[in-house]
Amino acid sequence: MSTFLFLIGEAFVNLRRNALVATGAVLAVFVSLALAFGALVFNELVRVNTLQWQQGDHLIIFLKDEGGPVAHSELLAQINDYPEVKNAWYMDKAGAYQEFLEIYSDQPALAATVTAADLPASIRVELEDISTYQEVQFRLVGHPLLRRLSVFSEGIERLLSLTGVLNSIGFGLVVLMGASAVVLIANTIRMAIYARREEIAIMKLVGAGNWFIRVPFIIEGATVGLLGGGLAAAAVFASHNLLERIPTDILIRFQVDQGFLLSRAILILAFGGLAGFIGSSLGLRRFLRV
Amino acid sequence: MIRLHNVAKVYDGGVVAVQEVSMDVRKGEFVFLVGPSGSGKSTLIRMCLREEKVTRGKIWVAGKDITKLPTWRVPYLRRTVGTVFQDFKLLPNKTVAENVAFALKVTGCPRSIVRRQVNTVLELVGLSAKTDRYPRQLSGGEQQRVSIARAFVNRPPILLADEPTGNLDPATSVGIMRLLDRINRTGTTVMMATHDFAIVDAMRRRVVQLDRGRVVRDQGESGYESSEET
Repeated sequence: MSTFLFLIGEAFVNLRRNALVATGAVLAVFVSLALAFGALVFNELVRVNTLQWQQGDHLIIFLKDEGGPVAHSELLAQINDYPEVKNAWYMDKAGAYQEFLEIYSDQPALAATVTAADLPASIRVELEDISTYQEVQFRLVGHPLLRRLSVFSEGIERLLSLTGVLNSIGFGLVVLMGASAVVLIANTIRMAIYARREEIAIMKLVGAGNWFIRVPFIIEGATVGLLGGGLAAAAVFASHNLLERIPTDILIRFQVDQGFLLSRAILILAFGGLAGFIGSSLGLRRFLRV
Repeated sequence: MIRLHNVAKVYDGGVVAVQEVSMDVRKGEFVFLVGPSGSGKSTLIRMCLREEKVTRGKIWVAGKDITKLPTWRVPYLRRTVGTVFQDFKLLPNKTVAENVAFALKVTGCPRSIVRRQVNTVLELVGLSAKTDRYPRQLSGGEQQRVSIARAFVNRPPILLADEPTGNLDPATSVGIMRLLDRINRTGTTVMMATHDFAIVDAMRRRVVQLDRGRVVRDQGESGYESSEET
């Protein structure tokens, strides 16, 4: 135990002695991991914003209040008979309000200003073939109950292909930035070792084993990684808080779930530590040959 | 305690440093390795520490064949052999006490024992008043005393010294040699490489003379030059 405490002490003495290099490494890891974390959040934003459409709401027919539920049911029956429609279902005002509350669960102030009466009932339509959305649109144009028709089919096609590209770019960024964090830490540790190569030779001469020499450098690397990861998490949380202040559009959300942010922050932090461990282990290998 | 059998060392590029060296150093003996620069004294010491591997032959240190020692066992060998060098090899960012304690800490020795042993050995070498100084704040002779204290702190059976007086003036060298002599009198085997003839002549101990990597003289209680020649 006293040996382990001694090694931890050695690691922090090293960090203090190489404060400038260590600070540089922490900042570099911070930039890498903040970009990686940002890419994760971006992917989540894309997923959240396309979720509703991906689930099958190709058309949303917002209805006027005239006629009430009876007239709305008649229209639903008509729509269900259209050959292009796979499935259509009715969402009344209470359902719309419930959905609104779920979507804006993280904005209670906004939810408090809206009541069920403010929201229109709607018919949600899932098409057999999304390319036929214009036929359905044609049939409904001019219908007296129609308040507004939201057509997502065309957008979905484009957005889904765009989402795929964006997800790939995001994933690529995560991998690239993660790898660069490992390389940066490895390089920092290698520089620290190079500066202390004579000391290491002396340690070996008096009988220090490889692990005795290695552990302080590994703790040093892990600390750099954890600090960089911690800063990255803090920066993304701060950016997300700023984004939350942007007024939410009905179609685009800038917020992701706090639980998602927290779990990914822990992941980034753990990755920072792991990157430090791997980076310092890689950086040490060459210098520890007896 | 140290045994070399037909030991040869050829460096990359074919430079022959040591050839066909055989010798036995008994427990408690004090042996001088003498010879001109490049005669193979330092290489021999480095091979006994497994800093260099032999090209041919065998070396036994404290009963173990170190030519067959796996790499992971080398630190354990070095804990049984104290080492003193011409350039002191002290850790610059550690105080006198920390430098000496380091040799015990690498063995996982408890803190209370480390403290007691360090205080004792620093008193033995006459540096108990300078425990908190850094190497740069000490004279050459004092630095070498710290180096000796570190080499002796865990009471190794063997002490290897490579030109320990090489950087010191004659008066300071005498002090260092008295210290090594006292350590030897506690039963520690000492093998010391030097080309300081005054010291060798004054001590009258066993002398192994090397020339171009070969043993050319091995004489008990001798001086720098062969007794027959003087």
